[in-house]
Amino acid sequence: MSDIRLEGVSKRYGAVAAADEVDLAVAQGEFVTILGPSGSGKTTLLSLIAGLNRPTAGRIFIGGRDVTDAPAQQRNIGLVFQSYALFPHMTVLENVLFPLGVRGIGGAAARTQALDALKLVRLDGLQDRRPSQLSGGQQQRVALARSIVFKPDILLLDEPLGALDRKLREELQVELKQLQRSLGVTTLLVTHDQEEALSLSDRIMVLDKGRTQQVAAPAEAYLRPANRFVAEFLGIANFVGLADGRTGLVRPERVRVGPTGINGGRPARVVETIYLGQMVRYHLALQGGEDSPVVAALPFVGKAFAAGDEVAVSWDTADIWPVP
Amino acid sequence: MRRRTFVKAAAASLPSFGILSAAQAQSKEIRMIESGGLSGDSIQVGYIDPLKAKTGITVVRESPSSLGKLRALVESGQGGTTLFELGSGIVQQAKKLGLIEKLDWAAINPAPMFPEAKNEYGFGYQYFSTIMAWRKGVKEPKNFIEFFDSKAFPGKRCLPDFPHYCLPFALQSTGVPIDKLFPLDVDAAFKRLNEIKKDVAVWWKAGAQPPQLMKDNEVQYSICWSGRVVGDPAFGLNFAGGKADLSYIAVVKGSKPDDKLAAWKLYHEMSLAENQAKAAQVISYTGPSPDLDALLPKDKLWQYPTSKQNKDVQYFENAEWWAENGEAVNKKWEAFKLSL
Amino acid sequence: MNRSTGFAFIAPLLVLMVVAFNLPIIYMLGLAFWDKGRGFTLEHYEGLLEAPVYLRVLGNTLRISLIATIANVAIGYPLAHWMRGLGRRARLIAIALVVLPFWVSILVRTYAWIVVLGNGGLVNRSLQWLGLTDAPVQFLYNELGVTIGMANVLLPFLVLPLFAAMIRIDDRLLQAAASLGAPPRTIFWKVYFPLTLPALAAGTLLVFILCLGFYVTPAVLGGGRVPMISNLLDTLINQIPRWEQASAISTILLIVALVIFAGYRRLDRKASA
Repeated sequence: MSDIRLEGVSKRYGAVAAADEVDLAVAQGEFVTILGPSGSGKTTLLSLIAGLNRPTAGRIFIGGRDVTDAPAQQRNIGLVFQSYALFPHMTVLENVLFPLGVRGIGGAAARTQALDALKLVRLDGLQDRRPSQLSGGQQQRVALARSIVFKPDILLLDEPLGALDRKLREELQVELKQLQRSLGVTTLLVTHDQEEALSLSDRIMVLDKGRTQQVAAPAEAYLRPANRFVAEFLGIANFVGLADGRTGLVRPERVRVGPTGINGGRPARVVETIYLGQMVRYHLALQGGEDSPVVAALPFVGKAFAAGDEVAVSWDTADIWPVP
Repeated sequence: MRRRTFVKAAAASLPSFGILSAAQAQSKEIRMIESGGLSGDSIQVGYIDPLKAKTGITVVRESPSSLGKLRALVESGQGGTTLFELGSGIVQQAKKLGLIEKLDWAAINPAPMFPEAKNEYGFGYQYFSTIMAWRKGVKEPKNFIEFFDSKAFPGKRCLPDFPHYCLPFALQSTGVPIDKLFPLDVDAAFKRLNEIKKDVAVWWKAGAQPPQLMKDNEVQYSICWSGRVVGDPAFGLNFAGGKADLSYIAVVKGSKPDDKLAAWKLYHEMSLAENQAKAAQVISYTGPSPDLDALLPKDKLWQYPTSKQNKDVQYFENAEWWAENGEAVNKKWEAFKLSL
Repeated sequence: MNRSTGFAFIAPLLVLMVVAFNLPIIYMLGLAFWDKGRGFTLEHYEGLLEAPVYLRVLGNTLRISLIATIANVAIGYPLAHWMRGLGRRARLIAIALVVLPFWVSILVRTYAWIVVLGNGGLVNRSLQWLGLTDAPVQFLYNELGVTIGMANVLLPFLVLPLFAAMIRIDDRLLQAAASLGAPPRTIFWKVYFPLTLPALAAGTLLVFILCLGFYVTPAVLGGGRVPMISNLLDTLINQIPRWEQASAISTILLIVALVIFAGYRRLDRKASA
């Protein structure tokens, strides 16, 4: 049984469709990411599910209940914004107590529950601070604690890590994933960061111009994108012409690069060499062909080609995905 | 006022200021603070313009004038203002506080004047009357007994928010004749005011209020300044029992001798009946010359505070009595106002 | 720029402020304590106590100011809130309408109320035409008139800071509160209102203190039946004149204003602590 179900959900502003007949089913406990460039309609979709907005067409079900016309406060949803949206006039604890208070939970029980939630996001001891006295990462944890403390049916995260620096973001990604798994709460995350989407989600939904492009597991979408947009949006895409006239996709990890004349690859010249730590990335220009420049990503083992080197480039036919 | 005090103080403390003006043999320009409005215009047309034509002396006007302003002017060090307009009661106060100087009547050499206008400390330049008036169409009272009788003369009243206006009129309505008003029986006057206060819609502070309120039919009867209502066909009026008062122009304490020489020349112009006639064309208040009536248009004589027919039926403000008792009366006035 | 050069830059301004604004006030306040020739005296304060009528006028002023301030808040808060919800263009027009009276002479505005609320004014004629009343309703020349007039004149002082605070409130805070399950009433009282409270307090304080010194409006719309302290001060300064007495009253007025301000500061500090 699916916990969130969208059936032909549309949101139109005049002639512009921010969401265009979107269908989606998210299973109980599943972590699904809505991924798309800015303006793709992903935040609109989230606000429709949260009840901050009404769709112009379609139905929305949460836990099997049709909530299309229910106001936000009746949906029992935990919502986390990129801007944290903490109440600045309340302490950390008061923020976390807020959803309990409106549910009529008070006193020691509420306090225990709130402190537990804060412990869960590793903020114990900071409950009497004001949001303005916390770092960005800490504030986001408060927002997270506030959105899970009342045991919501589903958790909606709108670019929750977008305002944080890279290192902190990666740390929090791990924590978020662990937290989600331990709570088992159905979670929908909105992001434009494809790495974040690939690393966190059970499935991703790629959105462009309000339309669903693909819904699939991360590896599936990465290696077998449903179309050229998904191929290009999820990482680096090498496109090659196929014999039947179609276009094939080869991901950089599947491209082999070696010295010329060893295993009969196509001759190419290294345009740029980029070190990425464990990996090294080559931007290559194939010689004598009309194919687009090729990017290859190889494990870095202490020695690499330099820009200007002549090399041989090859890939397995099995690694080519004909883009539909 | 506070800021002005400072500016004047700063100006006075600049040494070059005094030296510059002292170096002039004869002041070609003096400054005057007057009460503004049409009255100020009448000073310009009646007296300042003729002075300029005859002597080349310029008088720069500024307004409004208040005792507070005068006191601030003097206490912060004289800033170059020579002439200051004051009400009759205020002349007494200003004299007591040492804010004004004696006039040199010999140097002024005035044309004939009514005696009360020729004060040791001020030139009474303009008579004005405070009288009863009403909106045309209502029953017309002939005296203050009738004016305050709201049973026989129904309608809302508009009275001045000043005790020295209200009390003598209230007293008249108890039957006291105008020559027996002073010393004022304050308690009897307040008693009468307490009886009629329910009929008073507005206690006015600004002279423009009563005619407007009568026009808007907010009130039907007013005690107001004659100059605000005469000549307007919307209103009826009666000088009977009215208060004649005199506005003075005094010399600010510490004025420079050269400036005073110029001031005497202006005072002389102000004493001339033909100039007063010009001023009366601007505002229907009159100057202190006994010869003025002959120069005024015959058909308008009934409008002026000092024309024979009007001067006789009014009482004259007793500034000395108010200087003595003003503050005590005012406390009672504030208490009365709180009871409204 | 370090602290001391910064101070050097503002020092002339500070001196000007002290000389131009504070010295005259100190002089004015000192008048009540110092008699030429006789030295220090408390007689003017004793005079106040002996003739409590002046203190009663002060009390009346405080009462009217409080009423006018409450009326101001009752009108201003919903107005500012309503303006927040408007579109960009409508908002600009609304701000212009609120600010416009600033550029109209206070006397003109005050007289305009006579045209609207007078016995033969728009409102009374409409009421009678509709058959709701037989005789004109007395809106003016009483405390109601003063309250209406003062609320109108001072409304921008409350609405503008309040509106500025309200548009600074992030809509997402309200959305977050809704998503957390709060009904609209709770969102307003627990989130929205507390966030506007500092601006509301500051605006209310400003309006109240301005009310204390109001002169024109009570004199005209009150029909002279609503004694206010500034009218009394005018009499004591310009007519009687008893500057010493006026100074003693002003000192009390200043102390009242300062006490109110101190109370506000205390609340403010407590709120932001």
